[in-house]
Amino acid sequence: MKLTLSFTFLSLAIFSFIIPSHVSSSSLPSVSFVGIPPQDEDYFKDEVIKCKNGSKKFTKTQLNDDFCDCPDGTDEPGTSACPQGKFYCRNAGHSSSLLFSSRVNDGICDCCDGSDEYDGKVKCPNTCWEAGKAAREKLKKKIEMYHEGVALRKQEIEQAKQAIARDKAELLGLKNEKEVLEKVVKQLEEQIQKLKQRELLEKEDKIKEASNEKIENEKSGPEENVDGQIEPLKISDVEKMGLSGESPSDQSEKDENESTEGLSREELGRLIASRWTGKKTGDQVEEIDPAKSDHMGNRDKEESAYESSYDEHIDNNALQFNEKTQKHQEKGRKDARDAEDEESVAEDREKSSGSSSSEVVGKRIICMVLLISYINCFLFDFLISSDIATLSHQSWLVKIQETAQNFLQSVNLFSAPVANLDANQVRKEYDNYTAKLSDIELRISSLTEKFKYDFGREKEFYLFYDRCFESKQDKYVYKVCPFKDAIQEEGSSETRLGNWEKFGNSYRMMMFSNGDGCWNGPDRSLKVKLRCGLQTELTGVDEPSRCEYVALMYAPALCLEEKLKELKQKLESMNREQSWSHDEL
Amino acid sequence: MKMKHLKVSLIFLIFLASQTVHSWKKDEFRNCNQTPFCKRARSRKPGACTLIAHDVSISDGDLTAKLIPRAPHDQDQIKPLTLSLSAYQDGIMRLKIDEDPSLDPSKKRFQVPDVVIPEFETKKLWLQSASTEKINGDDGSLSSVVYLSDGYEAVLRHDPFEVYVRDKAGKRRVISLNSHGLFDFEQLRVKKGDEDWEERFRGHTDTRPYGPQSISFDVSFYGSDFVYGIPEHATSFALKPTRGPGVEESEPYRLFNLDVFEYVHDSPFGIYGSIPFMVSHGKSGKSSGFFWLNAAEMQIDVLANGWDAEDGILMPTKQGRIDTFWMSEAGIVDTFFFVGLGPKDVVKQYMSVTGLPAMPQLFATAYHQCRWNYRDEEDVENVDSKFDEHDIPYDVLWLDIDHTDGRRYFTWDKLLFPHPDEMQRKLAAKGRHMVTIVDPHIKRDNSFHLHKDATRRGYYVKDATGKDYDGWCWPGSSSYPDMLNPEIRSWWGEKFSYENYIGSTPSLYIWNDMNEPSVFNGPEVTMPRDALHLGGVEHRELHNAYGYYFHMATADGLVKRGDGEDRPFVLSRAFFAGSQRHGAVWTGDNSADWDHLRVSVPMILTLGLTGMSFSGADVGGYFGNPEPELLVRWYQLGAYYPFFRGHAHQDTRRREPWLFGERNRELMRDAIRVRYTLLPYFYTLFREANVSGVPVLRPLWMEFPFDEAAFSNDEAFMLGNSLLVQGVYSERAKHAFVYLPAKESWYDLRTGTAYTGGEIHKLEVSEESIPAFQRAGTIVPRKDRFRRSSTQMVLDPYTLVIALNNSQAAEGELYIDDGKSFDFMHGAYIHRRFVFSNGQLTSLNMASSSLGRSRFSSDCIVERIILLGYTPGPKSALVEPGNRKAEIELGPLRLGGRGGAAVTIRKPGVRVAEDWTIKIL
Repeated sequence: MKLTLSFTFLSLAIFSFIIPSHVSSSSLPSVSFVGIPPQDEDYFKDEVIKCKNGSKKFTKTQLNDDFCDCPDGTDEPGTSACPQGKFYCRNAGHSSSLLFSSRVNDGICDCCDGSDEYDGKVKCPNTCWEAGKAAREKLKKKIEMYHEGVALRKQEIEQAKQAIARDKAELLGLKNEKEVLEKVVKQLEEQIQKLKQRELLEKEDKIKEASNEKIENEKSGPEENVDGQIEPLKISDVEKMGLSGESPSDQSEKDENESTEGLSREELGRLIASRWTGKKTGDQVEEIDPAKSDHMGNRDKEESAYESSYDEHIDNNALQFNEKTQKHQEKGRKDARDAEDEESVAEDREKSSGSSSSEVVGKRIICMVLLISYINCFLFDFLISSDIATLSHQSWLVKIQETAQNFLQSVNLFSAPVANLDANQVRKEYDNYTAKLSDIELRISSLTEKFKYDFGREKEFYLFYDRCFESKQDKYVYKVCPFKDAIQEEGSSETRLGNWEKFGNSYRMMMFSNGDGCWNGPDRSLKVKLRCGLQTELTGVDEPSRCEYVALMYAPALCLEEKLKELKQKLESMNREQSWSHDEL
Repeated sequence: MKMKHLKVSLIFLIFLASQTVHSWKKDEFRNCNQTPFCKRARSRKPGACTLIAHDVSISDGDLTAKLIPRAPHDQDQIKPLTLSLSAYQDGIMRLKIDEDPSLDPSKKRFQVPDVVIPEFETKKLWLQSASTEKINGDDGSLSSVVYLSDGYEAVLRHDPFEVYVRDKAGKRRVISLNSHGLFDFEQLRVKKGDEDWEERFRGHTDTRPYGPQSISFDVSFYGSDFVYGIPEHATSFALKPTRGPGVEESEPYRLFNLDVFEYVHDSPFGIYGSIPFMVSHGKSGKSSGFFWLNAAEMQIDVLANGWDAEDGILMPTKQGRIDTFWMSEAGIVDTFFFVGLGPKDVVKQYMSVTGLPAMPQLFATAYHQCRWNYRDEEDVENVDSKFDEHDIPYDVLWLDIDHTDGRRYFTWDKLLFPHPDEMQRKLAAKGRHMVTIVDPHIKRDNSFHLHKDATRRGYYVKDATGKDYDGWCWPGSSSYPDMLNPEIRSWWGEKFSYENYIGSTPSLYIWNDMNEPSVFNGPEVTMPRDALHLGGVEHRELHNAYGYYFHMATADGLVKRGDGEDRPFVLSRAFFAGSQRHGAVWTGDNSADWDHLRVSVPMILTLGLTGMSFSGADVGGYFGNPEPELLVRWYQLGAYYPFFRGHAHQDTRRREPWLFGERNRELMRDAIRVRYTLLPYFYTLFREANVSGVPVLRPLWMEFPFDEAAFSNDEAFMLGNSLLVQGVYSERAKHAFVYLPAKESWYDLRTGTAYTGGEIHKLEVSEESIPAFQRAGTIVPRKDRFRRSSTQMVLDPYTLVIALNNSQAAEGELYIDDGKSFDFMHGAYIHRRFVFSNGQLTSLNMASSSLGRSRFSSDCIVERIILLGYTPGPKSALVEPGNRKAEIELGPLRLGGRGGAAVTIRKPGVRVAEDWTIKIL
């Protein structure tokens, strides 16, 4: 092995003397091995050689004769003659590499051993030794980091496993509870039915009273309606549209025409500019001005003061104008969207109100009030927080069943007449239990929802759920919440960069899509590239194309054992190469 | 329910309206009816002109006359005009009509300076005498006839006044002016009482202190079936009639340089540049041309056959004729008549007036990568390294407006580009170049040295009241240097020196955008017409040439920067007649759709025909996101544009060739590589244009002037005289119908398959390429090795592709120089002619024997000769001198790719710089 290698080294040297004259008609077979990887040399031993894709044959004199015979470049590994050719640099002291044939003798040193430039036009210093050393150092550090990372990853996977077990147990428990509660609720429901039937038989005036009450309730009903705030808005929307006698398209066109005439010269300039910038003028101001302020430090203070006040003056004008037109335009779009979603919006609202955290708090308050009831609130709290493992679960369930049973018995369903107090009690209890049931259902659905996600091959991303990672960059704070969404915050304003879509690139990327729309551009989206790191952190958010963001995130979850092995192997082979070249030297 | 429906449809309408907000704003631009001079002129009836030529004589070598009204009582109101008619070498007649300076008009009318090259005056023929004759059918009216060239004479008919060129032998007219009596010349005069000269348009007021001063006249082209030219319009190459029977309501072709946001792909409206030069061509195979040197707004009608039928004016009808009607807001009549005969002759004649296209540097003819914006140094480095990673060659990386510090040109954003010189040096180390943008609007910022300097020196264009004009553009409030003034141009040029342009290096070149000029808050997004230039010249008088002077100043600045030894590269968006001397142009802000891909060909053909040989369209389309298929097709077509650049708007997705999957990357790389293999051919064509004015990209009829089927073909084009290319302009196309002219064979560039000429071929198309053919009888030089950039290809060997005609013969040329300096002007170049006949290829020297003071040599050899249309059989060839044998085998037509095979002479090893012969044995 050592022999052949030094042989190629020698042949290289000879070759470099022969090649410079382009007219070199025939080359010695021995010198023609340039650009061939050592493991491939046997392939070129015969007098007649096949192109690797089998399309043709060529003779040994045609090997590296600076004329392309094989479409795949087999015959010209050491020259630039075939576009498909690959040049092997040995790079003793560093790691070997394959170059495009376009790099051979192009006057630019590509291989650290300089072997790609052998026609004498340039002299390439051999930098493999230093480069190799630096590369090995770097690799060593990386391996160390990976070692630690792999361990951390294991811990995280372990934690994830536990969390999953916990969540599963909780889910199971909740499902049982749900079953029990459903039974209880059903029984209470039956009770209420029975109570109702009994009430029907009561006196007429009582019925009248009851119905009066009902009417009053109904009157006050709409005010309590959650939708109450939305309704008038909708109506006013419709009114607005009805009132403007002309068709909306006419109107907007007219606005376009009229507005440009009424504008100040600056405003008009900004308006026209905004067509190319794709932003409304306010945005443009923002974009130019911060850059300005960034450079302010270098400038004469007086001048910058002058400038900023000057700019402020015109910016204000522009902003006002801007808001107007932007609103106008956005309104059109928003309305269009509203129409599309008209029905689903209402649904969404209900959904969201059901799941909001304020609702849970609300329930807890109700629960407090109900302290006087048979079951204590801590039970509910406990169910919600569910920090305690399954062990004690069973006993609590039993307790619920028992208390409910006791209560039902105490009311004595079969004795008549039932006192008013008892009827109220039953209703109260019924409300109480349905509330609990719905809480449990909520929790079940949120857990079930969680389990639907793909958390990686070893569920290594399970602990990312419900977590958010932030990165500050200039004036922006980027907030990435895996499995949920990604947001760009600027002061109090938020821009949604995307909703969770999926992992990509075999769990080396998180993808968020369908973010806020871009004016004249695509909806925003974010790709988070994941890399091995000892801490989970978000860095380097970037916008290579308008509204298409890319970020980098480090996390132990990405520190794969296979990759560590790979790195170790690479280091070993580098060390090997180094010791060879060391021997040769 | 009904209500809801209504609401939904209303919302839909609003949605539609908000969509259209982004497209072309037709009503922001004046149409003819909103342009008083155009409306007035268009309403004139044939025969309305009452002027007659008086006092006809020869003076100072010109035929001169006074134009006066026929009826004596009109002579009080209408002052006589002066007419002078001159003859120049090569069949060029110049006709000037102006107000008589001796009558002391209120203002000197503007004559466009520095467009006609000084050499042109040396070609003037001193007319000795005029003969007077009565021409048959002219009601006995007298005409004065003068010599124009051996075959042609110029005729001035006295009453009614008419000017034309005719051939001596057959007395057939070629081009005439005022044959329909539409000539009108609004003379400057004193305002009458309460007359209102102001013009208002969309909130802008043009004070028009000098009142009406427009000029209009009719021009007829004889023996012609089509007219072409007068860019810039996004429309067909053969100009469609705009008035007359069978023509729907149409605007005239407008020449008014404007920054039109999202221009539409088929419209006579004016966009970024103007060249008032029209070429006609007809069945006889003859062409003629007409050029009006006037930089004010111009409107031109192409009149449909029979437009004047009702008016009963009899014109010779035997020969095909196209009438046109030219209108301009101001200036004088300074017109040039070009007699042809052939299309290439007309182009040459035009360029003997306005100058030949500059010879570009080699790198500029290769592929350019641009985007608004490559954001910072890291971005630049990434894009650059990705090209290498994917082995895609490119030569130039471009930086748009946001590389600057707050859009102050000649500066760098200190955060994004802290080390501009280092960045350029890194690119230069790979043989690559950089281009930065420098626009004419200067930020009105007192801390900006350029603004301070320009203000102090009084170098800005003034508004109507005499203050520095303050318009709005990218940097906000901006002013515009007065480029009409040579002193200011020279001052501007100095700004490009390495000392003044901090952070610039010798590998940096320039892009002039927005030089129409674009003014966001100006009337029609440009400068008010009553703005004032040097010497009280109103902007209206020179508007169309502002960008030209700016381009000129920049290019001259770069020449100065390189001590006169480095050819400049400046891309400009606005242009005027003569811009070809200063650099390249492109078709501005097009859109990523198939229609714009399609219209790019007639637009570039028109530019080439009118001198702007070095032109192209943004590959991929500037606005919008092209589907990968469209992008691939655009690269495949763009590879044949004389100027080949990918560019995109900031709102678009990134679209560098590697971003659309492996297959598309390969297809785009192949397309770019086609360009790189053909660089020797392109460079030879650029030199041909530089010497003769014949454009790099040509209409079919320029090469085949008698082939009628080619006259209105603008989906295919010739690249030089050897290659014919046709784009694929629709999605998922399976077939293309390609017309191949003449009775020659054509060889498919990829497969080598021969097709017969003179018919339309239905060809299968694949995603791999667009139809492209080599004409039988031609030899095309290539370089079949791929490098990072053209710089590394300089020493690579050549491939010659010989396409044999029926008599087994072919010819071709190769031009080489150092690709960079002006030494070629002093003889430092290689120019070879390759001739194949009788089974022998000969390389002949074409460079003039009296070589100048410098020389250029090359060690490059020919590594491969491919013969198309040659019957296989011979096994070897004899190379002389040297008496060497070279093997002959069947080799691939294209290396590494799929494609056909052809007879190949392997390693002839001859040096391109030398004489040699290769005889097939």
